[in-house]
Amino acid sequence: MSESDSQPTPAPADQPAPLPPRQRAAQLAQALGQELRKAVIGQDEAVDGLLTALLAGGHVLVEGVPGLGKTLLVRALARCFGGEFARIQFTPDLMPSDVTGHAVYDLNSEQFKLRRGPVFTHLLLADEINRAPAKTQAALLEVMQERQVTLENRALAVPQPFLVMATQNPIEQEGTYPLPEAELDRFMFMLRMDYPAADEELALVRQVTRSARADMLDVAPLQPRLSARDLLALQKIAAELPLDDQVLDYAVRLARATRDWPGLALGAGPRASIALVRGGRARALLRGGEFVTPDDIKGCALAVLRHRVRLAPELDIEGLTVDRVLRQLLDQVAAPRL
Amino acid sequence: MRLTDTTLAVRPRDNWEALDLGILLARRHARVLLAGWAVLTLPVFALLSLLFWQHPGIALLLFWWLKPLFERLPLHVLSEALFGEVPSLRQSLRAWPHLLRRQWFASLTWRRPSLTRSFDLPVLQLEELGGAERRQRLQVLHRRSAGSARWLTLVGAHLEAVLWLGLSLVLLMLLPAQALQQWSWQELLLAEHDWLWLEHLSNLLYVLVLIVWEPLYVACGFSLYLNRRTHLEAWDIELSFRRLRQRLLTPMAWAALALTLGLAVPTTDALADSPADTDAPALSREAAGERIRALLAEPPFHQPETVTRWRLRETGGESPQPPAGLFRLDSLWRVLEYAASLLEALLWAALLLGAALLAWRYRQWLRVFARLEHNAPAASHATARVLGLDVSPQSLPEDVAGEAERLWAEQPRVAVGLLYRALLSRLLHDYRLPLLAAHTEGEVLQLLCRLDEPQLQAYAGTLTGYWQQLAYGHRALPPAAGEALCAGWRALFPRGTQP
Repeated sequence: MSESDSQPTPAPADQPAPLPPRQRAAQLAQALGQELRKAVIGQDEAVDGLLTALLAGGHVLVEGVPGLGKTLLVRALARCFGGEFARIQFTPDLMPSDVTGHAVYDLNSEQFKLRRGPVFTHLLLADEINRAPAKTQAALLEVMQERQVTLENRALAVPQPFLVMATQNPIEQEGTYPLPEAELDRFMFMLRMDYPAADEELALVRQVTRSARADMLDVAPLQPRLSARDLLALQKIAAELPLDDQVLDYAVRLARATRDWPGLALGAGPRASIALVRGGRARALLRGGEFVTPDDIKGCALAVLRHRVRLAPELDIEGLTVDRVLRQLLDQVAAPRL
Repeated sequence: MRLTDTTLAVRPRDNWEALDLGILLARRHARVLLAGWAVLTLPVFALLSLLFWQHPGIALLLFWWLKPLFERLPLHVLSEALFGEVPSLRQSLRAWPHLLRRQWFASLTWRRPSLTRSFDLPVLQLEELGGAERRQRLQVLHRRSAGSARWLTLVGAHLEAVLWLGLSLVLLMLLPAQALQQWSWQELLLAEHDWLWLEHLSNLLYVLVLIVWEPLYVACGFSLYLNRRTHLEAWDIELSFRRLRQRLLTPMAWAALALTLGLAVPTTDALADSPADTDAPALSREAAGERIRALLAEPPFHQPETVTRWRLRETGGESPQPPAGLFRLDSLWRVLEYAASLLEALLWAALLLGAALLAWRYRQWLRVFARLEHNAPAASHATARVLGLDVSPQSLPEDVAGEAERLWAEQPRVAVGLLYRALLSRLLHDYRLPLLAAHTEGEVLQLLCRLDEPQLQAYAGTLTGYWQQLAYGHRALPPAAGEALCAGWRALFPRGTQP
């Protein structure tokens, strides 16, 4: 993390001994990050965002042009994570029951049996989520918010931890179905993957051409670092990190500022404030901090807000992006003091 | 001329309808007309082309100049055909030299550019009028129909051009594509090649176009002329009377009339007084003229009509002195002018007010765009309250470190807060760091990296860490921290360098 380098570690010798579980958790998370960076080169920001979402227990939508390693990132995470992993390739003819499951008639027992869909897993990769029509996308609404699936009038809980990681491609509009606002709001983060820097791309090309697979990075050599139980424990630790009222107020002010900001036609809802706080806590844990600072909140503000707001048509015509307007907003909302 | 023999339905028509009738007329006798024109003009054209082989332009000009003479032939055919005696081609050709004699010189010289040529031709050829009589006659005829006749000639000229170009294009399209590929237009236009045959060909196309158009032109002019005369001489009424007379001339009708006259014995009352009984005063020529004029001055001959309309005031020249009553009007004008300037001022004010209101209404937008223009945050040197804190040098104690040391024992949070506030003040005022209220502690440290002052950076890092622990972590600091911080402050900012 960029801030963690400049963040001082205040005189540890004289401090009351920091709680060991937090430090261990931070180490574990950082080790996971290092493992991921072996497979995904040049996308540190996306890796950090994904780890933050993992610790905060939120779903992630990864957006980027083809070939930047969106799917690779999620597959690498699945490889490093000891729990169950399922993948759904979203296609235009995918049906909701293909996602959640359905009842089938068993000839032997002469009864209907529930056949659980791929959502009953820990990590779910929804690849190219905007290629399926809205009804199939809507099949994820319940499970993403309530962590349960209702099949044949029975509410079935999905295993914990449960995370949806979806990818989508922003440039292709032909034959795609934009995600509805309700669905977008359920994603805690929207991560943007950009082209890697020159030296990172050099390293990436060197590594890919050395690997046995023809044109992609191999995730096989990665080691599992985290079990499902570990992750639940990490999430619990992150959720218990102390948070000052001023920092909480800052997070809420940020989300509220989007609602009457002149450049935004649609502001973020209360889920954004919640995601900011949870994301801030996870970020603090990831950098090894003992408490949440305004920097943690501000650091994940773009990823939390960019898919929850809608740009005013005037600025859209001017050619401005949501990110630019949000950066301007972040430059205007006062950070907490004394 | 016997009107009853005409092959046309004689009735007063609109001018354009009359032109239409001319086209119908030409179509009915198209064969004789076209053949006559072709037989007459083609040899003349061939002769002219041969004579002026080296100057195709002159040949065409001469041919065009002679058009009025050729036009007498179609008119002859049409005038004969009007009464049902369509002359054969041979007859009409034979008649043509006689037709030429009348006023040929005038037709080819001063009357050549006339735009009403085909309309005027019947006066010359059929009515055989000349000189002042002709002029008078034309004056009457032109009163209603000259405009249409001129339009006919103008449209005709354009039609000729269009057809001529069209024919040339058809020829061009018939050329094989291979020939066109090697075609160099520039060469064609500029080179000194022998292109005479091409120009003669083009002349021929014009002559061919005239075979179609000229009979139509003459026919249209003739029908326009007939229509004008129908209007003037009431041919339709005359025809009706003639038809009536023919009907009444039957014996039965005569018998009925005789019976009626025999049975009806007229009373003396019914008879009008004979003119001899009334002793009307003999009128002299002057008196009669007087009375006629008086009669003409009364309705229904003369109907005065009052028309009121606006017109421009005449400027310049001696303006007559306005009558006394007008002075009041003048002052009224002045008042009106004042009112107008007042109104103008009010309108301008309303406009400016509207603009100001608009700017006020969209001030947020203006601010947004202004910010986008100058996106780089400006260094806010003069602001005393930056970062939500009072960081002006005046608000800080003289000896920051000493004050912090004093506070450390009882209120460590206030002490570290004071140090942090002082640090920000130094960064802002001494180092001119562009700090904003929105900058978090981490961002302030990142900005500090730009200054390239490792000592300050390290101290700021430590201080920020302690400050965050106190403010956000609510943790107690080690007791030695206060001393170290104050010592660090004194090392960085010795007393006396206070801004």
